[in-house]
Amino acid sequence: MADRHGRRPGRSGIRRVGAALSAVLACAALGACSGVQNGAVSADSGQEYPSGPVELIVGASAGGSTDLLARKVAEVLEGPLGATVTVLNKPGANGAVAAGELMNSAPDGQQFMLTSGSLMTITPHFVSPDEALSVDDVQLVTGVGREDYVLVANSAGGFASIADIVAAGRTINYGTSGVGTGGQLSQRLLFDRLGIQSADVPFEGGAPAVTALLGSQVDVASVQVLEAMPHIQSGAFVPIATFGEQRSPFLPDTPTATEQGHDVVVDQSRFVWVPKGTPEATVAKLAEALRTTFADPGYQDFIAQSYITADETDAATTAANLQADRERYGAAIKAAGITP
Amino acid sequence: MDLGPVLDGFAVVLQPENLLYCLLGALVGMLIGVLPGLGPAATIAILLPITYGIEPVAAIIMLAGIFYGAQYGGTITSVLLRLPGEASSVVTVFDGYQMARQGRAGTALGIAAIGSFIGGTVSVVGLTLVAPLVAGVALSFGPPEYAVLALLGILLVSTIGTGGSVKCLVAAGVGLLLATVGRDSFTGTTRFTFDNLALADGLDFVPIAMGLFGLGEILYNLDARGRGPGEPLPVGRVYPGRRDLAQARGAFGRGSVIGFVLGVLPGGGAVLSSLVAYAVEKRRSRTPERFGRGAVEGVAGPETANNAAATSSFIPLLTLGIPANATMAIIFGALLLQGIVPGPTLVDQHPELFWGVVNSMYVGNVILLVLSLPLVGVFVRILRVRASILAPITALVTVFGAFTVQNSVFDVVLVIVFGFLGYLMKKSGFEPGPLVLAFVLGSLMETSVRQSLRIFGGDPTGFLTRPVSGGLLALTVALVVLLPLGKVLLARRRAAAGAGRPEAGGRVESEERR
Repeated sequence: MADRHGRRPGRSGIRRVGAALSAVLACAALGACSGVQNGAVSADSGQEYPSGPVELIVGASAGGSTDLLARKVAEVLEGPLGATVTVLNKPGANGAVAAGELMNSAPDGQQFMLTSGSLMTITPHFVSPDEALSVDDVQLVTGVGREDYVLVANSAGGFASIADIVAAGRTINYGTSGVGTGGQLSQRLLFDRLGIQSADVPFEGGAPAVTALLGSQVDVASVQVLEAMPHIQSGAFVPIATFGEQRSPFLPDTPTATEQGHDVVVDQSRFVWVPKGTPEATVAKLAEALRTTFADPGYQDFIAQSYITADETDAATTAANLQADRERYGAAIKAAGITP
Repeated sequence: MDLGPVLDGFAVVLQPENLLYCLLGALVGMLIGVLPGLGPAATIAILLPITYGIEPVAAIIMLAGIFYGAQYGGTITSVLLRLPGEASSVVTVFDGYQMARQGRAGTALGIAAIGSFIGGTVSVVGLTLVAPLVAGVALSFGPPEYAVLALLGILLVSTIGTGGSVKCLVAAGVGLLLATVGRDSFTGTTRFTFDNLALADGLDFVPIAMGLFGLGEILYNLDARGRGPGEPLPVGRVYPGRRDLAQARGAFGRGSVIGFVLGVLPGGGAVLSSLVAYAVEKRRSRTPERFGRGAVEGVAGPETANNAAATSSFIPLLTLGIPANATMAIIFGALLLQGIVPGPTLVDQHPELFWGVVNSMYVGNVILLVLSLPLVGVFVRILRVRASILAPITALVTVFGAFTVQNSVFDVVLVIVFGFLGYLMKKSGFEPGPLVLAFVLGSLMETSVRQSLRIFGGDPTGFLTRPVSGGLLALTVALVVLLPLGKVLLARRRAAAGAGRPEAGGRVESEERR
């Protein structure tokens, strides 16, 4: 394993069509064997960081919003970090499987993880303790961004505001992206406060929930802005409320739930962490490289187009925010008497 | 319909660079299709970084090529090694592998390639002409409709395989039970996970199928060899003859239509289409007893259907921005990384992308047919390899493939566990097919039924009063209960009268010339 000359042949060479085919097989082998390679890499930890290719772990399958963000980060990060950055998908239990494995691996920064805040702030209130992550279990590196949830209705349904939903005077079926997600929590808290008859219909992720709403199988759904935006633009969906503290910069005309008189604040944050015990210099180097990444215009274009608001807080602030969110959600869940 | 953009789309495809990416995608797809476990979703995820530097149209043409190319390649291991890499090729195993054992592996692969070409092409024509219309219909399918479709699928499971239907139902029941493992998606409670986080999301299809079919078969063959000298499988004629093609002709047509229609439905469309296509062929056949013993239609129907479904699963993505399966989710991501948000406005905002990708599928299917027919002769040679060499390699590929899906060692352990179960099942005359298919459809049914009941406010009569689910339910009852009942009654009356040729429940079969 190359420790000094850790840089692999640059990606630019791979972009050629002619070389692509051989690269395909090499990549396939690399992707498949990478789990094995890391054992070897981590053996010489404490040396110069990064020693060889690093892995950005995503606790979800490829194609999801965390995964896409991670891929963009990995692409840009290669320059400032001076190493190949590979995205490794380890789906399972909202990311708890991958997080558990990383927590017990060598603290050398060769593997780090991009995680959604809900795993630390919302999920713990709904699942057994070993499926959740605590701020104290990890070494935070940096915050990355925040995404808003937006409550949308099918435009055929006639709802345009929260008041319209209350005035309907019937049971409201709301679609969610699953148990323990921000989409579910935001709606449960809202409908609990409204005090009207409602039924929670969980789907396996945001896309099926959007599909169901497009077909008017449910009345409303709270999903991430990216998932709803194409349909808001085409006129199929009406945005009713966002759940951020402030209005979403991408939906400036949609009032927040708080503005409409219902104090429900739920959003999704994303952050990067390494195992506890990682040398301070390593964490600092990684944080610095990530800061350079966040300043890249290509990266900034990508997050704007994905409706992510930059929230690149340092490790201490990120930890404090996560802890505060967790307590806030916990209090709201308790006050509403919600059990899954 | 304005044909201008469609023709412009052909101009886009025929640019040499795009043609090259189409060829590259199809070729890579076919290769990874041959490696079980390494599915198109994983491959496309691995290749995403390569697409950053190329034009969006070329990138999506290549990724699409990988997806439908993998459907061609996936057949090869199903037929030769009894290793279905994806749920939609499980059905092909029954007759495909039997044909291989009878020395007709070449015929099976050839028929599958031709069927895939026809299914893919018919589906692209459908995609060109009626995509927006079909997408609208797909939206009227909500949880209640999926619940009924999944029920129909599970009931059809008992019609496949050669074992007795009681054994089929037992295996299907075990499959349904296995589908309950994991977190309850409604309450968050974990079921049968034994506090193991690796089980929190339930079991995955790939390790179960790889274990039950692939490893189980290897173990069984080892056992059988211990009791007598092993003989290499005979390899007969490589290409399908005129008689095979004539037999498969009807199956090609029906498979195309079934695949196109069911493939549009997000989630489970491809699996259902292959299952329904197989069941239709078996029901239609005058000699249903040939099925499971090497019937050409048993390969032609499902293979045509799953390719047609693969193509039509692009419809929800391209017209609505909804990814219909895991691979579509990654192609969605690829578009996003290229700065294009797929949605209802894609056709208007990026016509060159929409029609370029759609039209590349015509070219891609021709490329795949041209590639795969000559390769059939190469692939069947695998069967000439001695079992003492082939079996360990197959076992290795199986385990490796299962690992790559989720980069999980736990899945490798599962393959081994299910390998032993598969061996025991085969020894005692149980088919793994119904188990695997019921497993796939079981979670779809559970989720949809519970979602439906939430929507109905707990009132199960909602299934009957909704027009689409009510209609489907009536069809299910007709197909599964009334039709076989009618057949039995008719046969009895015939036997009593002692005259008339046996015919299936009053249906006309004579239009199919033989």
